[in-house]
Amino acid sequence: MNKQNQLADLDHSGEPYIIYKSKEGFDLYTNFSKKIILNNKNVQSFLSKKYNTKSKNTDLFIGFLGYELLNNLIKIKIPKQKNINFPKGIFYKPEKIIKLNNKFKYQKKYNYKKSNFKININKNSYAKIFTSFKKRIKLGETYQIKICTKYKTKSKINPLDFFWRLSKTNLAPEAFMIKDKNFSIISCSPENLITKKGSLITTKPIAGTVKKIRNMNKMNALNYFRKNLKETKEHNMIVDMERNDLSRICKVGSVKLSKTKVIEEYKDLFHYVSLIKGKLKKSIKNIDIIKAMMPGGSVIGCPKINTLKLLNNQEKENRNIYTGSFGYIKFNGDMRFNIIIRSILNFKNISEISVASGVVVDSNAKHEFSENYIKAKALIDLFK
Amino acid sequence: MIYIIDHKDSFTHNVVHQFSLFDKVECDNYNELKKNKLEKASVIIFSPGPGNPKNYPLTSKIYKKFKGKKKIIGICLGFQQILFCEGAKIVEQKKIYHGFQSNIQVINNKSLFKKGKKFKVGRYHSLKLKEPFKIKDFEITMRCLESKVAMTFENNKDKIYGFQFHPESFLTINGNLLIKKILSA
Repeated sequence: MNKQNQLADLDHSGEPYIIYKSKEGFDLYTNFSKKIILNNKNVQSFLSKKYNTKSKNTDLFIGFLGYELLNNLIKIKIPKQKNINFPKGIFYKPEKIIKLNNKFKYQKKYNYKKSNFKININKNSYAKIFTSFKKRIKLGETYQIKICTKYKTKSKINPLDFFWRLSKTNLAPEAFMIKDKNFSIISCSPENLITKKGSLITTKPIAGTVKKIRNMNKMNALNYFRKNLKETKEHNMIVDMERNDLSRICKVGSVKLSKTKVIEEYKDLFHYVSLIKGKLKKSIKNIDIIKAMMPGGSVIGCPKINTLKLLNNQEKENRNIYTGSFGYIKFNGDMRFNIIIRSILNFKNISEISVASGVVVDSNAKHEFSENYIKAKALIDLFK
Repeated sequence: MIYIIDHKDSFTHNVVHQFSLFDKVECDNYNELKKNKLEKASVIIFSPGPGNPKNYPLTSKIYKKFKGKKKIIGICLGFQQILFCEGAKIVEQKKIYHGFQSNIQVINNKSLFKKGKKFKVGRYHSLKLKEPFKIKDFEITMRCLESKVAMTFENNKDKIYGFQFHPESFLTINGNLLIKKILSA
């Protein structure tokens, strides 16, 4: 049986599966023998567990850590919020991995009804939050903070169809989808937070987004960012913050910038990106890495702890998966995790898309509000 | 041993790595400090951090206790913390510098660094020292070339030093040399 049919049959069978972007194409993970639903009680032991280091390619757990769980891991409590009771984190143990190429095909087999999204914060409330955060910046309580907005619609979607269409137009290096019996997640995340192989670790923060307009190429985008002082400062701050987080767990003198301020191109936008690497200290365990790096700084703001507190006190709705991390932990200790952004969570026949953009001292509420929309657009377009 | 007092900042571990190039470093949160480490340390460092010096009375207490007895270095908030303890006013500034690279210059011949020498440095501060400023034995030794805001002070009698900018930032060129000179003073 060929791989395309396997995927279609698997999808049709209703068995849970996960697709994750690989270098060559996509990896399809299925035949789950274990499913671990994480909470504050079992997350520590799950992340600290040691396994026999066998060499089978299925010797790994794949899944996600939600935003609230990541806060709790670094001892930050989240005040009571509106909550849809979506699990705080889930990991699966696959028994089968199938390699797919970039152009996996999928035949749409159903008619999809167009839906309209509602935003949870309108322009006026956004501007109010913006002004209050700007005051905090002037007082030095935060240097950069991200306001999160959420788009929601009632809908029943076919996740594979959505993911296929999204990947066709927006092939992102950290794209993934999870299809389980009672929920699905579709994401075209561009941002890798942790790649750990042996004692080497890298992180690739994105800070800076510009909408692609006609005739704009990578060179124009680079010039735009270089000339734009606000974007440059925002990016600098994230670079120093990620150097800091790596320095918590890496050997002295090993944390280095290996790519500084380069451009990555996507369907509707360009991103400003850096790559930072380090060599882990001997005593460091995977749980230490996760606590040092998550939640990823570029989607929170800076300094992380105080900014998380300011954000959590302001946000009325649980972020669920948004700004959490998806990825895998191999039994030999290697890890790969992204930051969950540009994603759709489908749960209880509701689809939600969250986006965030940054307040720094010289940003402007109107501009950031529309930057949020640019980020959501590629996903909202799928519902047309 | 160098003891770094962390004000829960997202740049403190860059400071830890930078100072570790020169000596053994210990680092704890300002509200979880260890007495024996404080006593053992030859240098105490006040890290950068969010907010205003008046939010950190514990750090002020440590400054007053060890002033003149150990070398003390303050970075960003730490710079402001020391000056605040000496009676200076820390105020909001019109133009805020976060993630900003500035040119600064040595303006004082009482500095360990040669008068007139220029540096490129990274800045992350909302607040600044209110001037004029006069405290015995404390000298402003470097200023931002553009805004003239105070960027370093030195008290070479009591071995107390402060950087308003971030010597550990990737935006600061030759930050290690600055630290080396202060540590060997």
